[in-house]
Amino acid sequence: MGPFRSAHGPAQRSDQDLDNLLTLVARGDQGAFEAVYDRMAGPVYGVIRKVLRDPAQSEEVAQEVLLEVWRTASRFDPSRGSAATWVLTIAHRRAIDRVRSETAASQRELRSAPPEPVAVDDTAESVEASLEAERVRRCLDGLTDLQRESITLAYYGGYSYPQVASLLDTALGTIKTRIRDGLIRLRDCLGVSW
Amino acid sequence: MRLNGRNLHALAGPYALDALDDLERERFERHLRGCRACESEVRGFVATATALAMAAAVPPPAGLKARVLAATTVTRQLPPLLGARGEEGTRSRPARLLRSPWAPRLALAVGAAGVAAAAVLAAVQVSTQDQLNSVETHSQDIAAVLAAPDARIASAPTSVGGSAIVVVSRTEQKMVFTSAGLPALPSTQVYELWLLGPGTARPAGLLPAPVGGKTAPVLASGVRADDKVGVTVEPAGGTSSPTTTPIVVMALPL
Repeated sequence: MGPFRSAHGPAQRSDQDLDNLLTLVARGDQGAFEAVYDRMAGPVYGVIRKVLRDPAQSEEVAQEVLLEVWRTASRFDPSRGSAATWVLTIAHRRAIDRVRSETAASQRELRSAPPEPVAVDDTAESVEASLEAERVRRCLDGLTDLQRESITLAYYGGYSYPQVASLLDTALGTIKTRIRDGLIRLRDCLGVSW
Repeated sequence: MRLNGRNLHALAGPYALDALDDLERERFERHLRGCRACESEVRGFVATATALAMAAAVPPPAGLKARVLAATTVTRQLPPLLGARGEEGTRSRPARLLRSPWAPRLALAVGAAGVAAAAVLAAVQVSTQDQLNSVETHSQDIAAVLAAPDARIASAPTSVGGSAIVVVSRTEQKMVFTSAGLPALPSTQVYELWLLGPGTARPAGLLPAPVGGKTAPVLASGVRADDKVGVTVEPAGGTSSPTTTPIVVMALPL
């Protein structure tokens, strides 16, 4: 049991709905925050790593993002989307901000490397995570090459869509529509509810 | 204008992936405000992007959790926005879906340790200085403990309510102590902090009067591996050895 469980916080906390946990976090419940951390730190760190590549920088940004979740939990509004979406939107935005604020163009090539495979260990949670990753991978495989590359370069690579167009040597308007068409297919394949 | 609108509509994809520059994002958000269909589509795309992020999950670095949890103990949370939720009129404002107020920005230059340090500074500034006499209160030192790679955190409830929170670094041999929810004491009394070794009790400082239910961080040096930390209620000014039963005794998470 982690040191931050409050007196009322049994270990089953992590099974609680993430939306409810965030509501408790907004009231200053550190046990609830620890449960949110346990659920979201992997995806937060993972998506930031994808974009930034550099482990030290990624850890720094992840720490900022997770602290931001604590600080701004009262601003989470479930009517606008899921808690996971709220947290990961902050994470991705912050990673992109970091990329855009950098001027070191030479670093950019490193980031266009293909996505790394998802690390697997034997805890139930990560098995679940790797199943989810497998599902996403299968749906990505169902896209056309141009759709898939546009989406992964933009989201995981952290490139703006004009940069994606340049990298793929394709007209700007084509990239715009391929991203949108690809996202529609991906959304329907994943059965995303929103 | 119609063509322009349709052009803008195609930006829903890049928008959901954070692939627009600031200028285009603002234009698109203006467009979103008047376009229910776009709002729905953007939501679906953002939820899809969430699946992409979940699929990228990797185990976070080992020290991250302790540092994040430590930082929360000294970081004040934003109050809820009154009138911004639960009102029919504000529900459907798509422009705020992604940017503000969900993702207020910290200065980009502020590093991870800097965030914790800033929070500690803020906490120290609101404390009542006169009660900090025997305590080192250099906020850089506090920040150094919070940012130490081996920083560990523990908390325990006290017998008078509330909880004691301690962050320890073995390499720094230092400890930062804060508390939340301790009852306020009359001016004739003070909470005193102790490092409890085998058969000894070393005074480790007086807790400042709680502000907003929390006490500002107190730093104690010379922490040993077999120390426990305890708190007693003592006469104002403190004593050199405990005179009352501790309200909490906890092992250090070394």
